[in-house]
Amino acid sequence: MNLFGPALGVVTLLIIGLGFVWVIRGEYYFGYLWWPYVMAAGAAMVLASLFMAPVWISALLGVMGASFIWGSTELRDQAVRAELGWFAFNAGHKLQPPFANRLRRWRAPAL
Amino acid sequence: MSLNLIGLVAALAAFLGVWMGHVCVRKVESTSRTLGPPMVLAALIGFGLEVGAVLSPSPMVSGGLGILGMTVLWDVLELPRQARRVAAGHAPANPSNPRHARLLADGTATSVDWLAREPVGHPLRSEELTGHAGMPEHTPTSVGRRGA
Repeated sequence: MNLFGPALGVVTLLIIGLGFVWVIRGEYYFGYLWWPYVMAAGAAMVLASLFMAPVWISALLGVMGASFIWGSTELRDQAVRAELGWFAFNAGHKLQPPFANRLRRWRAPAL
Repeated sequence: MSLNLIGLVAALAAFLGVWMGHVCVRKVESTSRTLGPPMVLAALIGFGLEVGAVLSPSPMVSGGLGILGMTVLWDVLELPRQARRVAAGHAPANPSNPRHARLLADGTATSVDWLAREPVGHPLRSEELTGHAGMPEHTPTSVGRRGA
């Protein structure tokens, strides 16, 4: 019996569940324009996982990277949900990402 | 230096599991007359993938199957949650599905996909919503707010 897979699956669900929280909080405080940086951070985690010898560390880094990449595609939808009144809307100042004006012209991904 | 591919496999399994689950849950909930059979089928698929994960001696195969299986098992719970989103008007109802048609007739659901728009940077006013193509029976802000 190899319990590695089911155990990794359970931890993955927890990491994905945590993703719901940081997407909501992240959009509230920082806005959805950070999506390329979040996506890049996720890709960097997946890349770093290739160089980690311990199986669990490599696997968890890969899952966290995937969660970041998925979360980056959820930020735009979360911004719309807040504007629709389904979640709290932050009318105050949001910390803008580098090149914010350029990023406003990009179409944010939503899967 | 050899590369450890388990992280990449885990990442692909997690991303594809979440993405495919996201798409399949919306599609199946939208087209199914009843949710029981697809929930049972998803539970069986998820359980089967977990059995495969337990029986595999390879960490990569076991990890990939374990992650995919858990995401499919999570989708069992997501199907009724999606139905509640449709009933609340947060996800588009399918008029050709009798289960959704009843909700549309009651005026609680909508066939509009409210998320198919770009953020504008301010809370949406009702006149902005009424300008939406296929503006339905009610606006989404009438179905309650959730705190972040």
